[in-house]
Amino acid sequence: MNLLTLIKISWRNIWRNKLRSLVVIISIVFGLLGGIIIIAMSYGLNEERMNNAVDTYLSHIQIHNNLFSEDYNIKHTINNLDVIEKAINEDERVISYSKRIVLNGMLSNSNGSYGIQVKGIDPDEEIKVTNTYEKIIDGEYFRSKRDNTILVGKKLADKLNLKLKSKVVITFQDENYELTSLLYRVEGIFRSGNSRYDEMNVFVKNKSITKNLPGFNGYHEMPILLSDIELRGEVKKDLIPISSDNIVEGWDDISKELAYANEMLSAVLYIFMMIILSGLSFGVINTMLMAILERRKEIGMLMSIGMNRYKIFMMISFETIFLSLIALPFGLITSYLIVEYYSVVGIDLSVVEAGLENFGVGTRLYFKVPNEEYFYVSLMVFVISIFSSIFPSIRALKINPVEATKTI
Amino acid sequence: MIETKKLIKIYNPGKFEVKAVNDVSTVFAEGEFTAVVGPSGSGKTTFLNCVGGLDTPSSGDVIISDENITKLSGTEIIKYRLNNIGFVFQAYNLIPVLSAKENIEMIMLLQGADEKIRKSRTDELLNQVGLYEMRNRRPSQLSGGQQQRVAVARALASKPKFILADEPTANLDTSSTSNLLDIMNKLNETEKITFIFSTHDQRVIDRARRVVTLEDGKIVNDIKK
Repeated sequence: MNLLTLIKISWRNIWRNKLRSLVVIISIVFGLLGGIIIIAMSYGLNEERMNNAVDTYLSHIQIHNNLFSEDYNIKHTINNLDVIEKAINEDERVISYSKRIVLNGMLSNSNGSYGIQVKGIDPDEEIKVTNTYEKIIDGEYFRSKRDNTILVGKKLADKLNLKLKSKVVITFQDENYELTSLLYRVEGIFRSGNSRYDEMNVFVKNKSITKNLPGFNGYHEMPILLSDIELRGEVKKDLIPISSDNIVEGWDDISKELAYANEMLSAVLYIFMMIILSGLSFGVINTMLMAILERRKEIGMLMSIGMNRYKIFMMISFETIFLSLIALPFGLITSYLIVEYYSVVGIDLSVVEAGLENFGVGTRLYFKVPNEEYFYVSLMVFVISIFSSIFPSIRALKINPVEATKTI
Repeated sequence: MIETKKLIKIYNPGKFEVKAVNDVSTVFAEGEFTAVVGPSGSGKTTFLNCVGGLDTPSSGDVIISDENITKLSGTEIIKYRLNNIGFVFQAYNLIPVLSAKENIEMIMLLQGADEKIRKSRTDELLNQVGLYEMRNRRPSQLSGGQQQRVAVARALASKPKFILADEPTANLDTSSTSNLLDIMNKLNETEKITFIFSTHDQRVIDRARRVVTLEDGKIVNDIKK
């Protein structure tokens, strides 16, 4: 008996009890659907969080003076800036970049004080690198002709009861560790989608800092945006030799927790999917055991007339595997269609807005499943169905043909 | 030729042992049409199970054409059954998902027979049992008598040395029984195949050319007509 005949018998056997087989198949379809949607939401959430961080403050690459991260003294500006700028301007992989003055200080008003990081920017340059200008929910993005205007985050504005035109004082240490204070007026309030970022960061024009610090010249941070996030490794490698005493980092070096979450996500999702599929496999095993119990006599007869153990094993295995494999395309196609739809339309999660902002994402979640995930999920279904087939097949082999047929 | 030598089958050996077959020695010659009869519990089925290699005797030998099948290993006995013994079951035991033709062909597939041979043998057997026109029907679309005729054709498909049939007419009405016996009789004569039945059915006993009577696992009567 060739394999094709065994497959034919197995295929027909699974349709002997259509309702039972369909119940199992539908349960696998729903299991797959649930699993893939969770994968899609997780990837969507993670990508949204990562993109948000990259677009709002990280960019793809950043350059700092290597002493700056240890001692936030404003004297630790980026070295060799002209050479780096020249190289970046000539590099086709680079879309844009900007230069920031970064001060760690205290923002105060009559309601209190708060520790913040001040980013002194050129508003026109910054637009090309980050999307803060799109996140203004009140006021404007540096339209005022005055230099001493400030953009504050919504969360900080709420904490210090800041409104447009509110006056605030920023206090920081100059290069001699002397306290310096600058007065600003709120021009805009932004909401980035990451409440922690909104609480800790403010933007001012860099001119407002340099004109009040006559001896200061330079920049602390250079965010660079590339044509493709995946190019960061090679661009970084090219920039390191010309960046003496500077540190060149990719977004994943700067925000390790984001990079770690990204790396861990696939592993966690595979474990999750494995748990769902393992649960479903018990349903398949149970169905097959019932089928074997019902067909004891028939299997006994097959053994009696000379079907060997290998063929009995294969026949039952094929039946078990077919149950899962029939469900697989339906599960994948349904999931794919749903994922594609919600990858465009997104799901409105504004009911959990506050929680999502703490997590660093917006209120609309767009599904995403990398194509290779469909392949890996299919592979998992296939492997689990093979494992599921072992127990029922062994059970079938234990049938005693004499007892099963009662008579010869 | 099938020979049993001091065949004993004991169930539950030890405290509550039952001797289902008790020291049975007999010979079935080639081409015999034999009925094994006896009351319920007399050991007919166990005896046929041992002869067919489905059950292992507690002691004694079953020798078929000079081969002692009690000495064969598990795999060898399965192969031996496939190539040498045909079985007809009381409840037909056809595979419900296969057509009459496929049920007959299946045993040849197990033997690894060539497609051409399979097809011609299947057609030949379907004609012999008078079911050629119904070859594509599944068992559920056939009557009990027709199913049993398919079962007989299936048993013959492998060209076995002999056929063991346990109560083959037990579920059949008079006309189906008569029809089946006619077919088996004809096959016995044309194909020279040895038929051994266990039966209670007087109609089968009447058509048998030898009647072996068992009681308490022993042969108490052996009549050749």
